[in-house]
Amino acid sequence: MVNIEYLTPASPEERKKYYREEWDIKQVPEYIVHSIQEREFGFDHIGRGPNDRYKVFQTPDLLKRFLKVRTPFAAYCSVAFYDKPRRRDRWTKAELVFDVDAKDIPIRTCECEGVCEICLNEAREIVLNIIDTLKGDLSLENIHIVYSGRGYHIRVLDHNIMSINSDLRSQIVKYVVGAYVPENEYSLDFEKVSYEHFVIPFGYPNVFTKRFKYAILHLNENSDLDEVNKKLLKDILKHRQLIELENWGMFKNKIGPMRYRKVLKGIASMNMSLIDAKVSIDLKRILRLPSSLHSMVSMKCTEVKNIETFDPFDDAVPKFVYERK
Amino acid sequence: MVSVAFINPLSDEGKMIVRELGEFNGVLSENDDLMNIVTKSRSQEISNDSFIPRSYFDLALKRIEWYAKKKNDRNFEHKQYDFLFNQDIIKFDVIAFYLLCQAIGVKYGPNSRESRVLVESQGKLIENRLSKLSKTERNLIVTNILNSLLSSTHLKWTFFEDLISSKKLKMHELILDKGEIILEMDDFLERFSYKIHGRKPEKMYEALIGDRIKEQVMIKMVMQNTENYIQQVGERSHREIEPNPILLELADKISEVLISSVQTFGKGGSSYGISIKASALNPKSFPPCVKKVMEGMKSGGRNDAIIMFLTPFISYARLYPSVFSENITKQISDVDPTLSIIQNEILPLIFGAAERCNPPLFEDQPQDKVNLNAKLGFGMHQHPELKNEGETTWYTPMSCEKVKIHLPSLCKPDETCKKIGNPLSYYNRKLWAFKKEMKNISNNKDK
Ligand code: SF4
Ligand SMILES: [Zn+2]
Repeated sequence: MVNIEYLTPASPEERKKYYREEWDIKQVPEYIVHSIQEREFGFDHIGRGPNDRYKVFQTPDLLKRFLKVRTPFAAYCSVAFYDKPRRRDRWTKAELVFDVDAKDIPIRTCECEGVCEICLNEAREIVLNIIDTLKGDLSLENIHIVYSGRGYHIRVLDHNIMSINSDLRSQIVKYVVGAYVPENEYSLDFEKVSYEHFVIPFGYPNVFTKRFKYAILHLNENSDLDEVNKKLLKDILKHRQLIELENWGMFKNKIGPMRYRKVLKGIASMNMSLIDAKVSIDLKRILRLPSSLHSMVSMKCTEVKNIETFDPFDDAVPKFVYERK
Repeated sequence: MVSVAFINPLSDEGKMIVRELGEFNGVLSENDDLMNIVTKSRSQEISNDSFIPRSYFDLALKRIEWYAKKKNDRNFEHKQYDFLFNQDIIKFDVIAFYLLCQAIGVKYGPNSRESRVLVESQGKLIENRLSKLSKTERNLIVTNILNSLLSSTHLKWTFFEDLISSKKLKMHELILDKGEIILEMDDFLERFSYKIHGRKPEKMYEALIGDRIKEQVMIKMVMQNTENYIQQVGERSHREIEPNPILLELADKISEVLISSVQTFGKGGSSYGISIKASALNPKSFPPCVKKVMEGMKSGGRNDAIIMFLTPFISYARLYPSVFSENITKQISDVDPTLSIIQNEILPLIFGAAERCNPPLFEDQPQDKVNLNAKLGFGMHQHPELKNEGETTWYTPMSCEKVKIHLPSLCKPDETCKKIGNPLSYYNRKLWAFKKEMKNISNNKDK
């Protein structure tokens, strides 16, 4: 890797250079350009948050002109569609969004201050897991990924779910991240049968099993889980290669059934903070505009075409960073 | 076999019964057939005339009363309502159901408390009626009704959008695969049996889905349809010139039944020898943690302190202080039917505390208001409105233990704290002591 100065704020000159020389309207995703008149835009001109809101552009060209003239510190665009976006009036629908910020992942294995290659990669794994469930169990289509500058946004534009309310969004979130503690006892007519989540290879229990595995394999001795004390954490770490080998029954035995239940609860509640759920349930949220500059870290918010090959330190670094001395 | 209309009055069979009745006239008059069926129900209590409905009109009210009392009255006696489970009553039952929908639709509309109670009561009635059937019969009728409610065997989960978002059905308890909800055993086996190892797929189906989930889906769909029907009636009634006076009278009586059942709420004893009644707040009796938040928070945790901690505390302390001793779940409208106390007393207190925070809460975060509303049970909306009530649950106050974990800076225990486990109990105890003192003072004065 070239030795350049990463992740430091961009100067006003660098912002100008970026918007006037490098930025191109073609980098704004289709799904935004197409609906540009129905969305609200917001801008942060001095680095104190998006105070310049309720902006509307009738054509992509006008957006282009605005960005080239104002070269904002940050640019945002609503996930919501309105009949009257200038007043945020007559809401019609909104994308379903998952915001995975590498810096906020509670079980990241790096110890960096902001973000680094390790935690960004972990954010990407989490994104892939979520998308897997969105496509599989929920059969949603029209899913897009954006590199946000510090993590990823998943943006779902499936017409079946764009008009759903916050409550349903929050249930979807909990389902896909694995935030419900799975049942382990079910009643039949005259008996109770017990099935742990890991023997059920479908439905929510299966989603949970995958999330559980991911979480267990990313814990370390400093991890902080509800219901899990130091001793239990130590035992989890000691036996976790059993889970890597899919030897779940043995793992549960080693931990003990009561304590296993605690681990389930701890992981389920931790899973909820893998993403910023507030963003997902907010029907009027504005999100960083793909193609715009994240000036705090000097990275481009970028539409990810192929998540398998996407490398933020290659694909999302603006040219001016390479020119820094 | 049991009639479909006994479980789903909105079915074709049910509609037929209504059509046969034709005119409304006569719903008020005494009906010997009805009274006969009631008195002949197997374990019906007939010692008191008031237990026996004499007309369609009476029966409609009994249906609501059954639900309200069962939920709220500790002295509820099943035997007084046994006729509701006698299948011979079907014709009368279906008509009573339609009377209720129409009365409530015309007078209160679909977002009212009355509507909510009717919808819930229908659900409970179905559950109880099913539980009295044999397994085969039960399975048969459920399948039968489901088939008529679901137009296709491929059931997209988004079809249940309303049921899921109102939490009538829980997404994680349904089995979803490729966007569809799996209900039938054949379908289940086809999709999953090759993946299942060391367990019998059929048994797994029975446990995870089986009759239980099918029944749930069926019941919840009938409930949703009931709600929709009430809405249709409401919309239609706007176009009509004059609603039938019988319906209006029934509507008034329904409200009366609900109000009188709420009043029996307070019967439960209390550990202090007097009952804790809802009354104006007395901030002097607040525990240290609440006093601290009321002064305004200067540091972190403002959000949780106001929304998660203060909001439930203030609302329960004012409206339902005996929640823990009575242990009956309520919604705010059960105790503040017009929401006037919420608007005029509770929210101002909470907003006051929020403003005293540094920086003030709610200023630029509409989402916070939404969260606050959610904690009061009014869903994810900006303002409390009856039509949204029940979308979320009314949060009960945090225990001291939780306060100590989530908001450790608030807890500054004093002597009274040693005797309680929840800030609300602290308040009740102090309030009681305070009242006793006041009484003593005034008694002394009298002397
Ligand atoms: S012990 Fe309970 S009531 Fe007392 S200050 Fe702490 S949290 Fe409040
Ligand atoms: Zn890192």
